[in-house]
Amino acid sequence: MLRGVDLTLQEKSLVRVEGANGSGKSTLLRLIAGIDVPSAGRITGRPRCAYVPERFPAAMPMTVLDYLVRMGRIHGLGRSTARERAREWLERFGADAYARTPLSELSKGSSQKVVVSQALMVGAELLVLDEAWTGLEPAARTMLDRAVAALVTDGSTVVFVDHDPGRLAGAADATYRVEDGGVRDVTGQEPQRRGAPASGPRVRVEAEAPPGVVLPEGLPGSPQVRHTGEDTTVLTVPVAYSDALLRGLLAGYWHIRSVVREEQPR
Amino acid sequence: MKALLGYQTELLTRSQRWLSPLVLYAAFLAVGVQWGEPLLDGLGYTSAALLPVTAWLVRICVNGEPDAARQCSAAAAGPGRVHLASLLTAFLGACLLGAAGTAFAVAASEPYSSEGHVAVPLWPAAGAGLLADLACALLGTAVGALCNRPVMRSAGWAVPSGMLAVLLALVAAGSPANAAVSGLVTGSHSGTVTVPYIPAALSAGAALLAVAFACRQAGRRV
Repeated sequence: MLRGVDLTLQEKSLVRVEGANGSGKSTLLRLIAGIDVPSAGRITGRPRCAYVPERFPAAMPMTVLDYLVRMGRIHGLGRSTARERAREWLERFGADAYARTPLSELSKGSSQKVVVSQALMVGAELLVLDEAWTGLEPAARTMLDRAVAALVTDGSTVVFVDHDPGRLAGAADATYRVEDGGVRDVTGQEPQRRGAPASGPRVRVEAEAPPGVVLPEGLPGSPQVRHTGEDTTVLTVPVAYSDALLRGLLAGYWHIRSVVREEQPR
Repeated sequence: MKALLGYQTELLTRSQRWLSPLVLYAAFLAVGVQWGEPLLDGLGYTSAALLPVTAWLVRICVNGEPDAARQCSAAAAGPGRVHLASLLTAFLGACLLGAAGTAFAVAASEPYSSEGHVAVPLWPAAGAGLLADLACALLGTAVGALCNRPVMRSAGWAVPSGMLAVLLALVAAGSPANAAVSGLVTGSHSGTVTVPYIPAALSAGAALLAVAFACRQAGRRV
């Protein structure tokens, strides 16, 4: 039960929602996703939304690929695009062997990959993840981290809950805490006290600008920027954003000199 | 909506749950529509049988999608639209059954009145039968929409109240389904075809209200 919630979600942002078990995190997420309707008040300006629940025990009489194509169509994709993207995402999660498997025969981990693919394949403007990482193996978790970073880079809003305080640490643009039936903005407040690492693992990219080119605005992951030479710049971002940052720099014809994963700051 | 309907139809057809109402309908027809009996009696019986079958189909369709999957589709399309799609799927399925049942009644029965052997015009009678089917399918959809989730969430309430509502819709004096069916059966005595325009319109109104209410309730938590 939540009361008096007043929340504005920005475009192109990663939003973390935290709170104790049973505090109403999932309720807030379902309201944001439009699955539940608030009993009082309203939610406006919600774009098309994709949602991932914590568990997906969907004993439905269809195959993985059929389900994904159907969901893609509901999100407004054409049949062949939906089929293509479904295959792509299953492959990324190493689940392409299950394309023809009935949903009811999947293991917990594989069904989670299916429901995550369902949400990522549509490129939604709003993605809501309720403990979506639960049940995924480490490689798939990292893939999901990167996919989230790429979506935010492309302008989407991603709202997530995860029991791991280090999930996408340092990458969230806003953090909200659900407690006592209300929602509090705790963005930038003492992450250590919440049990989260100060910033999480980061990646340092040393890049060389093409002659006469300045650093573009709004690079993925809001990098910390240090100019080290006439043309060389060092950019530091949370690990999840490293690929997105490299893509951004390469697209601007920057030359990448080195990429180093920084030791976790203490 | 087309994509949602496709999804719901696939959920219904690929599960085996549609089989039970189909068998029930077939059993109704096998018992009620006899070879060589008067046509309008058979048509009336066919339509009446469609009402409980439709209500059952609605129950199957609105419960056919597991919660986690429904949350995903509701996020994509809105809970009201997802619910509307499941109700429409059941209604369209019932229409299909009704058409098949009417075709069977036309083929099996004799186009004569029950008293005095007066000839009954075949096509107008079949048309009246189809319209009575429509009235019953619409009212069955209304009953199913009101006596299932999200309006009634517990099966302990939903099933008995649904059965009671079906019974009332069939026998209560003011019910449009009753009016449509008894119009056919009464007409069978003299061989006059009563086309149930008004009952069908009333059923459509009732279905519209019930479906709108149920879809508004979808996504609300109690």
